[in-house]
Amino acid sequence: MTKYFLRRFLLLIPTFFGATLLVFVILQLAPGGPIEQAIMRMKMASMNQGEVGGGGGNGLAGQSAIPRAALEQMKKFYGFDKPIPVRYLIWLGLWPRDVDNHVVELGKPLRLPVGEVEFEGEEIRLWRWVRAVEVDGEALLQESEESGAGFYVDDSIPILPRAASVGSWRPLEGWSLIRDWRDEWPEDEEKPPAERVRKVEFAKKQMSGILTGDLGVSYVYSEPVWDVIRPRFKISLFFGCIGFVLAYLVCIPLGIFKALKHGTPFDFVTSAIVFIGYSIPGWALGAILLVLFGGGSFWDVFPLGGFRSDNWEMLTTWGKILDQAHHAVLPLIAWTIQGFAVLTVLMKNSLLENLSADYVRTAFAKGLTERRVIWVHVFRNSLIPICVGIGGLIGVFLAGSYLIEKTFNIDGFGMLGFQSALNRDYPIVMGTLVIGVFLRLFGNIISDIALAIVDPRIRFK
Amino acid sequence: MTRKIEKKAPGSQSILAKRFRKFRSIKRGYISFIVLVMAYGASFFLPLLVSNRALVVRHEGKTYFPAFHGFYSASEFGAEGTSSEPNYRELREQFKEEGAGNWVMMPLYHYDPLEDVTVAGNKAFEAPSWKHWLGTDDRGRDLFARMAYGFNVSLSFALLLTFINYLVGGSVGAVMGYFGGRFDLYVQRLIEIWGTMPFLYVVIIISSIITPNFLLLVFILNLFGWIGMTYYMRAEFYREKAKDYVAAAITMGVSTPKIIFKHILPNALTPIIAFFPFNMVGGISSLVALDFLGFGLPPPTPSWGQMVSVGLMNLEKWWLVTVPLAALFITLLLIVFIGEAIREAFDPKVFSRLR
Repeated sequence: MTKYFLRRFLLLIPTFFGATLLVFVILQLAPGGPIEQAIMRMKMASMNQGEVGGGGGNGLAGQSAIPRAALEQMKKFYGFDKPIPVRYLIWLGLWPRDVDNHVVELGKPLRLPVGEVEFEGEEIRLWRWVRAVEVDGEALLQESEESGAGFYVDDSIPILPRAASVGSWRPLEGWSLIRDWRDEWPEDEEKPPAERVRKVEFAKKQMSGILTGDLGVSYVYSEPVWDVIRPRFKISLFFGCIGFVLAYLVCIPLGIFKALKHGTPFDFVTSAIVFIGYSIPGWALGAILLVLFGGGSFWDVFPLGGFRSDNWEMLTTWGKILDQAHHAVLPLIAWTIQGFAVLTVLMKNSLLENLSADYVRTAFAKGLTERRVIWVHVFRNSLIPICVGIGGLIGVFLAGSYLIEKTFNIDGFGMLGFQSALNRDYPIVMGTLVIGVFLRLFGNIISDIALAIVDPRIRFK
Repeated sequence: MTRKIEKKAPGSQSILAKRFRKFRSIKRGYISFIVLVMAYGASFFLPLLVSNRALVVRHEGKTYFPAFHGFYSASEFGAEGTSSEPNYRELREQFKEEGAGNWVMMPLYHYDPLEDVTVAGNKAFEAPSWKHWLGTDDRGRDLFARMAYGFNVSLSFALLLTFINYLVGGSVGAVMGYFGGRFDLYVQRLIEIWGTMPFLYVVIIISSIITPNFLLLVFILNLFGWIGMTYYMRAEFYREKAKDYVAAAITMGVSTPKIIFKHILPNALTPIIAFFPFNMVGGISSLVALDFLGFGLPPPTPSWGQMVSVGLMNLEKWWLVTVPLAALFITLLLIVFIGEAIREAFDPKVFSRLR
């Protein structure tokens, strides 16, 4: 048993890498990526300023209008300056990422922060000079031996001397040269070689990626991906959890009663409801509810959408709860209806099947009461197929929710993924993908575990 | 083959014929089936039923059939100085007033799904009335016409989608189940990886490169939709392969493709038939959802999802949301009834009750 689950967890690894690699490559190869979008924005901006005339219509003309240096800069910013396999490894955190890039002219010193000291409760930043020099045709990075504050604080803290008076230079550790532009600094392309500024670019190398828990920084929000996802994740979780509990609270008793009253008018009427529930997608029901109760044409009972009112923060605790509930009723109905039909029918059929089993005959034959047979013997056994669905529902928390979120204009996890795919905000796309993949794969395993717990006969090998 | 079986006595019917008889005896499903097939069949004649092109025009002793012929210039019917298509609704009124023996025979419903406010007399956001049975949308297009044409589009889409999904998924599942072992394990992993692809992103990315048309959209949905059937066919083939008749066929030296297609496949068709209606439901829902999000069929194709998205932007016009969703609901309900009946016919669980 333990071996089985261990193997399941190990099999997660290739699936995870395979899935992320596949999506990553497709995203990177897809036209209309962030760089093209940025170019479009720049083109639009310059067109608005009237600098580019009517001629800037097609993509090629626009591209040539953007200086190569800016394009290089942009590629570097989005990480598109490296081959795709390297980009993937960087994203994973298995290849050093360039952080803190600097472009420096040969021989010209640059001041870089090296640390902080505390002085009377304040942080004083310490600096050190860094320069690039050419030795035997090779560009080398050097730093000054001395370091110090940028201004006078106290006699105990040295002041960084001026660059010209630095006594000795030593090789710079921890940083590395990433581009040698001594001869081909793109901005100077047109100038004769003698006039060109000779520059090099260097950066700190750092291993940080998905495996170190770093999802990257969103292009659009300019915030760490996790900070963007977290608040929206909470919203989706709110609906997911309540909808999940609600569905089980309604479906299990309903399924049981339908099974016990199989063939009666009650069964027939509820079957009709189940069919209706199955035939209408959750978001579509949500749209109809909005028309009915959203105040457009009929009754003005519920708000038109959103997660909370704009003034939620100012409400009293009771007011907050009421407001939240008021906003949540319609989306929750839409949410619950999605799994409602399947779950109810599953419960009913499972109970019916068990009722006709031999052990039930035995139980009746030995004179047990009907109540005892149903609730103690049959009920527990018929929960087995229901448990299988538990893990799958974890994925449902997130998947398929964007339609409901869009209908009700809720800024949740699904909406975020959808919007970031539209905006080509790849770090967020990959972030939501990773979370989604993990939840789904874990969900499958949780299903198996739940199954093994409720049904001791099941032995995984 | 089936004809031969029907002649036999009921006791020796093939299992498929038995199941079909059982299906026919389930009234709700069978009636739904007939209604849906008839509605779908009729929807192919929509240009003759719901259109702004006249069926027959009688003008100056000559007879025209615009619905079949297509474009006629208005000048053919006496209008001067214009070469555009005549507005047959107005033409009919005009001929009536003139009383010169000219007449126009219109289809049952006089509006086309694509004609918008640019056609004289059309107004945006008209409430349902005798003129526009179900009102008009934000561009003055008639909702009834759009709904009717959307029915054909949705159903054709789902049929094609499900068929291809089953063809691909069924074949892959069959091969997995038949050969099993390492091959099965690797393909399972590949399917797992493929299945985690966020399908919506792929649709967004593809539709940013090219505007998807009907067939391309089917193809995109096929890319991910075939996976579901592999599980059932794989299980089905696993079970069938262990049976004696397959062993017998192998010992007799029957070729592998022949065993798969001629011997096992007919016995493994149950999931395909039983799940078909439910996958149709899924296909229609996903087309409507994609159109709703704006990544479906290119405008101005009449589609239910596009109608809903217009409706949600204009909530006070209740008919805009209600009409397409009611159409969606009724269609799906019919299909679910059919599916339920088929399932019952194929899986006749008779529960003995002990009370």
